Amino acid sequence: MNLKENSGLIIFGVLAIVVVLAAFIALETTGTMGIEDRYNQAVGLPAGDEEKEGGFSLEGNPLMYIGILVVLVALSLVFHRYLGKV
Amino acid sequence: MAHIHLEDGSFTVFWVLVWWVIAVLLIGIALYLLRSSKKPDPKKITIAAFVTTAAFAIFQVQVPIFGGVHLNLTPLIGILAGPLLGSLIIFVVNILSAAIGHGGWGLVGANILVNLSEVFVAWIAFRMMKKFVSSRFSQAGIAAIAALLVGNLVMMGIILVSGIQGVHQTPGELLTGLSLLAAVNMGVAVIEAFITGFIIVYIGKIRPDLLEGGKE
Repeated sequence: MNLKENSGLIIFGVLAIVVVLAAFIALETTGTMGIEDRYNQAVGLPAGDEEKEGGFSLEGNPLMYIGILVVLVALSLVFHRYLGKV
Repeated sequence: MAHIHLEDGSFTVFWVLVWWVIAVLLIGIALYLLRSSKKPDPKKITIAAFVTTAAFAIFQVQVPIFGGVHLNLTPLIGILAGPLLGSLIIFVVNILSAAIGHGGWGLVGANILVNLSEVFVAWIAFRMMKKFVSSRFSQAGIAAIAALLVGNLVMMGIILVSGIQGVHQTPGELLTGLSLLAAVNMGVAVIEAFITGFIIVYIGKIRPDLLEGGKE
């Protein structure tokens, strides 16, 4: 292995070690939890199924969900029809 | 591996629209540049199709570490497909993921921007690293770590700017929480960097021509 190759592996190794150490320190501070709970905790939202205060919400609304999917499919068809030749 | 895992309704409608509009604009620019450039390389289109499939599949796989995480493969997308095709790949993967309930519709715009930043930085970093480092594994690994770090910073920026509905945290508290979250995410980024490095080394051995075409 030449110096250029070694230096790359050393930089990558040092970066990886520093990042993993930082991750473990953060994990010790926050505790082990699922990805959604981790996000909720980070922004101060109640964990799991607890109710949050009002506001705009699509979650748990299948009709709205299907509606958006249908609109996106329709838009895709229109775009494909008129701009389809990439 | 920064992907905003918040429910629909976490951002106000205003910010949902802002991030969607910026994302659609950037994708529109990428589409315009692709259409106005010479005929796309069929090899690139094929590799783009493969990484789209791989990224969509890996988005849905929960890795049981740190309480459950998933990889994105966005650095790999950037390295193999470049930022123009990469932006279309990111759009498709995020839309399909939202369609099966992974990530809210309202957050697709913000998530596209986060993933786009990762694709773009990986593409630039991989090419820059070639000047300083000869090992493909290190080039790809360092590019992946840099890309995912930037992705996490963009994710933090978007959440800080948008704010969260129904939450009364000071910006300082929000920043602390997001920094810890990003630090944990970066731990997973190292795994993604190793995977990206090994895939690039493998492709470099069997199909080096797919890595040489750095231009779009």
